[in-house]
Amino acid sequence: MDETVNSRILGLGHHLPERVVTNQDLTRLMDTSEEWIEQRTGIRERRFISADMGGADLGERAAREALREAGIAAGDLDLVILGSLSPDIDFPGTASLLQRKLGVRGMPVMDVRNQCSGFVYMLAVADAWIRSGDARYVLVVGAEIHSTGLDLSTLGREVAVIFGDGAGAAVLGPEPDRRRGILSTHLHSEGRYAEKLMVEAASSRVRPRVTEEMLDQPGSRLWPRMEGRYVFKHAVTRFPEVIREALAHNGCTTADLDLLIPHQANLRISQLVAMGLELPEEKVFNNIQRYGNTTAASIPIALHEAVQEGRVRPGALVCLAAFGAGFTWGAALMRW
Amino acid sequence: MPASAVLGCGRHLPARTVTDEELARDLGASGARLAELTGVTRRHHADDGHGPSDLAREAALAALASAGLGPADVDLIVFATMTPDIAFPGSGCFLQEKLGCRTVGALDVRAQCAGALFALATADRFVRAGAAERVLVACAEVHSTALDYAPRAAAVTPYFGDGAGALVLGAAREPGVLAAVLHSDPDRLERFWCEFPASRHYPARMDREAYRAGRHYYQLDAAAVHPQAREALVAVTREVLARAAVPAERVALFLVHYLDARVAREAAEAAHLPGERVVATAEAAGHIAAAGIPIALADALAAGRVGKGDLVCCVAFGAGMSWGGVLLRL
Repeated sequence: MDETVNSRILGLGHHLPERVVTNQDLTRLMDTSEEWIEQRTGIRERRFISADMGGADLGERAAREALREAGIAAGDLDLVILGSLSPDIDFPGTASLLQRKLGVRGMPVMDVRNQCSGFVYMLAVADAWIRSGDARYVLVVGAEIHSTGLDLSTLGREVAVIFGDGAGAAVLGPEPDRRRGILSTHLHSEGRYAEKLMVEAASSRVRPRVTEEMLDQPGSRLWPRMEGRYVFKHAVTRFPEVIREALAHNGCTTADLDLLIPHQANLRISQLVAMGLELPEEKVFNNIQRYGNTTAASIPIALHEAVQEGRVRPGALVCLAAFGAGFTWGAALMRW
Repeated sequence: MPASAVLGCGRHLPARTVTDEELARDLGASGARLAELTGVTRRHHADDGHGPSDLAREAALAALASAGLGPADVDLIVFATMTPDIAFPGSGCFLQEKLGCRTVGALDVRAQCAGALFALATADRFVRAGAAERVLVACAEVHSTALDYAPRAAAVTPYFGDGAGALVLGAAREPGVLAAVLHSDPDRLERFWCEFPASRHYPARMDREAYRAGRHYYQLDAAAVHPQAREALVAVTREVLARAAVPAERVALFLVHYLDARVAREAAEAAHLPGERVVATAEAAGHIAAAGIPIALADALAAGRVGKGDLVCCVAFGAGMSWGGVLLRL
């Protein structure tokens, strides 16, 4: 058996639809205001698709960029994992559609359905496959098309203003130096709050799971539902908790941290988390202002932009952390 | 590096059985005709309001009990299903709450009919990488609420049943997962798929046109998929045995998982497997996508067909197309 190695991100990519939807655009669809949205969420604009387009389409662009950065051919991948809460089709998973777009076959592909924590969960899976010696190169892609599942009327405004479409990707490979790459991952869930942020339909516990009445009724089970106060309250507790857990596991403190990339759920949450951890502004990366919450895609999009902006230097201690629907939350600590 | 092994296994089937005769009127064909089309004569349907996490809870408790463990001992849940309780969050979160586990990770994976093998392989990697010690692999489906009960689905709907199976995989001195090989090939995935609700569909992921056309129901081109499945199951059986360097003669039981049990049997025959040591998982209670393999394993253990130290070869093929093989030493 090979010596255990770490896994490391070898390349990143991201892709967003071209159509920009500003807060002002939303005021034409629902009773809301630019100020209300920005004050509550920090979001100024997000991207929506404007024709039939799937997470696999956005994901392919992100994946090809990540593969190019990593210098890896799609055919060399041993495993492809796609994270989404807005799958392109009911089944198979979006990973299969992505595999076809990448023009490869043979290697296993699977979807991970862990909502806002999806990217951290996928990193944990990829890391386990690489460290066990069962995979050399793993592609992880977070891809979401929220816009086709939002109630853009006034009734849905609390949720609809938050989400955006987008995709981010990372290629992981083995790192022989145990002090580099992913140092540890930490995953959590608490299902008692599962229905505080959810899309219910199609629900296999409802017979039949889709009805014609669901299609355009107000407050349809097909639209997301959120009790924002619960989510906010738990997020500002669980984020710092799991970040400290990851640091402590590696004998580090918040002072050692060079960059925190929180899942882009809400700028106000990120700011409260940073304040609680006493992290100065330059040590936290946020881009939700431009993209909204892209759930499983938000961390790789943000991480890639941070790298492109020179915010992540070799040797930097970087923490990726997420909290969201499930509730699920988690963190990955890595030495760049 | 630690090894991983199956510490416990359990299953749960809903109490309500549904025979072909009961489906006959809706599906516009006699019970005998439905059996002829699919090879399935009875399956279980979940009670109204029950989702996969409800069925998985019972299977998980049985698996934990057989391992001498409780929910508090689990440090990761891996849940495989293609029929989740709700669109999101995943069924693993519901199971975490229903079992009363600590706030451990609840990973939801989607690999359709091969889901159990993808979940099992992933759990094995977590244990061997030292990232988890005891992983609950929960596999459950409630297909019955997704199916089309109209004559156009007479050759599809009877195949599927509801149920759950669970395994506890944990760190062990002797390896219990001897080999795992997994594959996907998306080329002709529309031969077995369900398109809607579809986020890629602009401007809304579900609309009247798609609904009225029945595009939210399973579509299956059995005549095209069967040969592909047969060939893949033969090849992956050989591949997993070769990977572990174990001759077929030493394997106590082969679990062959495919929605048509007759095709699974043909594949076993083509691979020259001894028929008396083969279980075609769909024979007992229809095809239960992610759950068929752990259910069949739990049944074989309960019946005394296999026991400690025996080799069990599990192979599966399904939508995606995704397929694989896992060789276990119990």
